[in-house]
Amino acid sequence: MIIVAIIVGCLLGIILGVNAPVIPYSISGYVAISIIAALDSVFGGITSTLKGNFDLKVFVSGFFGNAILSILLTYLGEKLNVDIYLAAIVVFVGRMFTNLSIIRRFYIEKWSKKTKKN
Amino acid sequence: MNKNKIIMTIIIGLICFVLVYVMFLQFKVIEQTDLTEIKTMQESELREAIASWKSKYEEANEELLSTIEKKKEYEEKINSNEEATEILEQELETANIILGKTDVKGEGVIVTLSDNDEAVITARDLIILVNELKDAGAEAISINDQRVTNMTDIADITEKNIVINSQRITSPYTVKAIGNKTYLQSALSVKNVGFIDEYINIHNKSIKLETKDNIKILKYEANERADKMVLKYIDK
Repeated sequence: MIIVAIIVGCLLGIILGVNAPVIPYSISGYVAISIIAALDSVFGGITSTLKGNFDLKVFVSGFFGNAILSILLTYLGEKLNVDIYLAAIVVFVGRMFTNLSIIRRFYIEKWSKKTKKN
Repeated sequence: MNKNKIIMTIIIGLICFVLVYVMFLQFKVIEQTDLTEIKTMQESELREAIASWKSKYEEANEELLSTIEKKKEYEEKINSNEEATEILEQELETANIILGKTDVKGEGVIVTLSDNDEAVITARDLIILVNELKDAGAEAISINDQRVTNMTDIADITEKNIVINSQRITSPYTVKAIGNKTYLQSALSVKNVGFIDEYINIHNKSIKLETKDNIKILKYEANERADKMVLKYIDK
């Protein structure tokens, strides 16, 4: 059920995203950082699902909150002439890798348990 | 429980939709602005680039304008040079005519003086004739094809020989004069005080005066001989 929802959402997103009007280039930097933040939230959500402590409120608030916060930070960095978005990217991508490694370990353990049983 | 699951599914689907939508939007933007120069530039950098290009354009424009002005100046100079050359050439031409360095053609009179049994033509007659012709506006005069210039000498050597331009000539003396033919003719043939009455007819000298439309007077040739002499002298 959830997988179907994910696939439908992704397909709709691809179709509408490809046909969407082009946004100005100066905004694309903010969009990029918000995408990184959102991806981080998604991986965090997957990790928590696997751990069994997934909370929809936390996930949704993290998804949009991180995105908006990263945009605000990038804007502030531009006003201060400091590349704050680099720090945001380092944090988000680092967390993404951590979450990915947790996911990887989880499935490896699952897989090794299966092979041991067999 | 079931309701919560449905809500969760919808929200997760929505979130997936939003994420993928924004990602593809971004892919599209990056793809469309794939101009390497612009891609690596911030807006402020682009503004600076525009400003620098503008100033470069202005500089180039100024240079162009100054070059055009210089070109105009040179053209004017060339024009004025051409005018000056024209004026100089005209002056040279008139000077050459006055100095007798060129052959000249035009309307004028031919006066033929010749010795007869009663009287002989003297150098004085010729000098007076030449002066009369000059007074009447003659532009070029020659006697027996010897060009009369400001340096010309006319003198008797024997009774029947006259020297002009250091050349001996004898009767008949053909005096050619280029100028307004009517002026020249009337100046010579004024009654009693004109040249013909005053100097020729009184002494019973013979004269023939005719007007012509196309008289050719040769250039003064003594100069060329002098040039050759100088050259020979230098060679030695």
